[in-house]
Amino acid sequence: MEGSIRKRVGAVATWLLTFILMIIICVPGLWVILTAFRPNGEVLAKPPVWIPENPGLGNFAKIFGFGGDQIAIPVSAYFANSLIIALTSTVIALLIGMSGGYAFARYRFKFKNGLFLGLMLSRTVPGIALSLPVFMIWSRIGLIDAKMGLIIVYVAMNVPFTIWLIDGFFRQIPKEMSEAAQVDGCTRWQAFWKIEFPLAKSGIASAGIFAFLTSWNEYALASNLTRSTDSKTLPVGLMDFTAQFTIDWAGMSAMAVIIIVPALILTFLVQKHLIAGLTFGGVKG
Amino acid sequence: MTKSIFKTLLAASALTGIAATSVAAEDVDYGSFADYTLRVKLIGGAQYEPLYARIAEWEAMTGATVDVLSRKNHFELDREIKQDIAAGTLDWCVGSNHTSFAPQYGSIYRDLNGVISEATLAEFQPLALQNSTVEGRLVQLPRHSDISNLYYIKSLFEDADNKAGFKAEYGYDLLPPETWEQVKDQAMFFADAPTFYGTQFVGKDEAITGRFYEMLVANGGALFDDEWNPTFNSAAGVETVNWFKDLYESKAVPAGSLNYLWDDTGLGFASGTVALNLDWAGWASFFNDPENSKIAGDIGLVRAPKGSAGIRSGWSGSHTFSITESCDNVDAAASLVTFLTSHESQMVEATSGLLPTRAAVWGDAKAQFAADGNDFLVEVFETYAISMEEDAFTPPLITPWIEVSNEIWPQLQAAILGEKTPQEALDDAADAARLVMEDAGYL
Amino acid sequence: MATKRVPFWQREKYTPYLLLLPAFLILMFVVLLPLLFSLYTSFTGYRLIRPESLYDWVGLRNYRRIFTDGDFWSAFGRTILFLTIALNLEFLLGLGIALLINKITWGQRTLRTIMMFPMMFSPILVGYQFKFVFNDNIGILNNALYALGLSDGAIAWLVDKYLAMFAIIFAEVWMSTSVFAILLLAGLFAMPRDPLEAAKVDGCNSWQVFRHITLPFLMPFVFIAMTIRSLDVARAYDIVDVMTGGGPAGRTELLWTMIARTGYDNARMGQANAMAYVSILLSIAFTYYFFTKLLAARKYMGGAE
Repeated sequence: MEGSIRKRVGAVATWLLTFILMIIICVPGLWVILTAFRPNGEVLAKPPVWIPENPGLGNFAKIFGFGGDQIAIPVSAYFANSLIIALTSTVIALLIGMSGGYAFARYRFKFKNGLFLGLMLSRTVPGIALSLPVFMIWSRIGLIDAKMGLIIVYVAMNVPFTIWLIDGFFRQIPKEMSEAAQVDGCTRWQAFWKIEFPLAKSGIASAGIFAFLTSWNEYALASNLTRSTDSKTLPVGLMDFTAQFTIDWAGMSAMAVIIIVPALILTFLVQKHLIAGLTFGGVKG
Repeated sequence: MTKSIFKTLLAASALTGIAATSVAAEDVDYGSFADYTLRVKLIGGAQYEPLYARIAEWEAMTGATVDVLSRKNHFELDREIKQDIAAGTLDWCVGSNHTSFAPQYGSIYRDLNGVISEATLAEFQPLALQNSTVEGRLVQLPRHSDISNLYYIKSLFEDADNKAGFKAEYGYDLLPPETWEQVKDQAMFFADAPTFYGTQFVGKDEAITGRFYEMLVANGGALFDDEWNPTFNSAAGVETVNWFKDLYESKAVPAGSLNYLWDDTGLGFASGTVALNLDWAGWASFFNDPENSKIAGDIGLVRAPKGSAGIRSGWSGSHTFSITESCDNVDAAASLVTFLTSHESQMVEATSGLLPTRAAVWGDAKAQFAADGNDFLVEVFETYAISMEEDAFTPPLITPWIEVSNEIWPQLQAAILGEKTPQEALDDAADAARLVMEDAGYL
Repeated sequence: MATKRVPFWQREKYTPYLLLLPAFLILMFVVLLPLLFSLYTSFTGYRLIRPESLYDWVGLRNYRRIFTDGDFWSAFGRTILFLTIALNLEFLLGLGIALLINKITWGQRTLRTIMMFPMMFSPILVGYQFKFVFNDNIGILNNALYALGLSDGAIAWLVDKYLAMFAIIFAEVWMSTSVFAILLLAGLFAMPRDPLEAAKVDGCNSWQVFRHITLPFLMPFVFIAMTIRSLDVARAYDIVDVMTGGGPAGRTELLWTMIARTGYDNARMGQANAMAYVSILLSIAFTYYFFTKLLAARKYMGGAE
């Protein structure tokens, strides 16, 4: 079976090639992660120190306030805020998205295309253009420096894309299945949860991961709408490492690792759904 | 507790004067504000944080709680305060402020004359208080001042080859520079891009506007005339721009300078790849710390050099605390602000190289450094004391200062990069600045 | 009259509107309402630090000012250039990566996770990361080039006229190519096998297969990706702001950096909002263009509606 061996060698070679390419693409990001484990002096040295001479967890220790004269950065509060805000806004966006996506997929109604386009266009407004008016309205109703204030904003940011993905996914599910269930005595509501929702799970999961990453990483609006540990998220916390005159790049990198790792784990876990979800959603319907 | 008793107490504490170092904090009565929560917004950053560790002491003394609403760098804080003004959410009492930023904020901050007792104010350097005054109102209490002097790598100036080589090329002795012309000569002499640079400058934002401004003054120019007409497109202005441009074109400064801010220049000098570096006092300890700096122990310091008009550059400003007009407990706010700028507090800040605003702290801090055997910081304080006294001047304390600055610096960059001639660039900047001044009602 | 009157919210005719109600309510509250407010302020001389100037109606003055301002139009043109180059590069690179990964059968999940690695980075972090990569003195890029003997001087990546634009586009492409790759990969997965097999039997080489079968099938996915990316491409503001702040001498000034500086640093909110409106129209134009392309491609594919 010479041919199959050659084939296998070829496959391994392709894999290796792709792997190396991916790693090269990741280098700038990997460098950040490497920086997180090195002292600041070494990071900024010239001539450069390529291989870490004193790797360690010093930067993390500093963040949590062990040793050093720096006041601890309230990382756990930021982390909790980020998690609460990103998860809550993702769940709400998915619920609203499911409801809206279902409407677009299953019903004919007036202004359907116009409404759909309008939804999408609402997402094109740059954050920087929204930041002040949103701030002024939020400050009138007490949503500044409150988790709820950010959650509402992120739900709005994520709803258009979520509706789009979920709409495409529902269209893939034959109407007849739900109709059959209704004939069998289910209400439409029951049919949705018994038939359509389980089939759409992958699509919903992929919409969810996009929504989560958007909320988890958002900075422009969060930096305007948060003030203290009541609501500050991790990306805003990155700015704690910049001062009038200095940037603690090593410390910032350590914080970056804290931001990236949970997102990476989550993405790895829902990988399968992500591709499946995007494959069937979106286009064809 | 009434205001007058409080003032008396403050006065009493102030009278102890220099002896205050030895007085334990509990002996000074900062009042009692049990169950009151004071809301504050502070400037953050490694240099400023050690002082905030003292807030707990104040809380213990007064029974009040301090709620730090935000702790950001000044540009972020500035944006936040502007938003607060816009939205009317000035529901906090004490805010960090800066002499360059203060004029923008209009009347949101209280006049501290009468809030802080005269006896306390008398302890502060008159110039620092004068610079903290906007339209006759003392809107801020100076926490520490800042001014730049010229750091250099000592061994370069002691090296015999350098001395001989420099003399042969430029015709005068290689000594720490007295004038900006000499800085230019020496920078070009030492530069060996891309591994070593003669000097460096910050290249964007208000940073380069400030550097341009102080050298403009040193060269006998001025930003505005007495009627607030922009006058920086003068011969002195062109001379100043050319100084930057020549250094940039001859590669005596790093090629990326125009994207540099304070952290880049500070870290650059600490990396030992720059010969001469005009920088703020707050960097002194950092430069001389072997853990952060390659040139620790090899640093010389001279007063900022003179321009062609024989004036030394001395762009200066103070970090300050302000109290809002909308504050619901002015006594508590005043107590905290006084505490954070007290003799003891300023001694804490001085150890990291921040320049005191209370006259007595200068001498006491120096004595402290000498006792600790830190000769470098003694030298730093001696040099900076003279320049604070003789050379310091602030940018125009006008509302649209940042706006004017934003018109100037892109034009400076254009001139340095050779996209425009210095004269064209300055003319364009002056026209734009005139518009800003007209809009702001100065013209 | 025997039929019981069904409450209107239970009638089939209104159901879709009811289902869409939450989405529209929240978008009205978070997007439309603030936009109306900023539209109003764009006709005033509103200055952030003078709340009373909110009622200072100046008509079209802000718009007249920005339309006659050369700097504004350069930033406008530069933003279009930035969008066009970045989106196309992201598409091409994303397509290449997707095609490669699609070929792989074993260990694909790991590769896909690595591929999505840049998506984990917050835009603000990407900005700092590349500010340090491109630093002329201590940046790893210059140090690496120097160590490898590929350059003998410090390259001023963030200052040079062309390199500065290149640097910010590079950062944006690095951050967002993954999105294209993942969407296109999904497209490749959805592709039916039969036409491919048939083409091979007919003796087409792999380029011909790609050109005439794979690519046309992928086009709707391409437009979806383009639409999605053009929706949130303004996230690049965070990157540019950190890396260059629009400088030097306005060489990397995009509409977004200009808006932020005018609105916050200079406190001229009215004028900034006028600019913001122009930039919103620009984003809408880009999105609308790709969206119509998408609809056309869908029709071509014979999808529903």
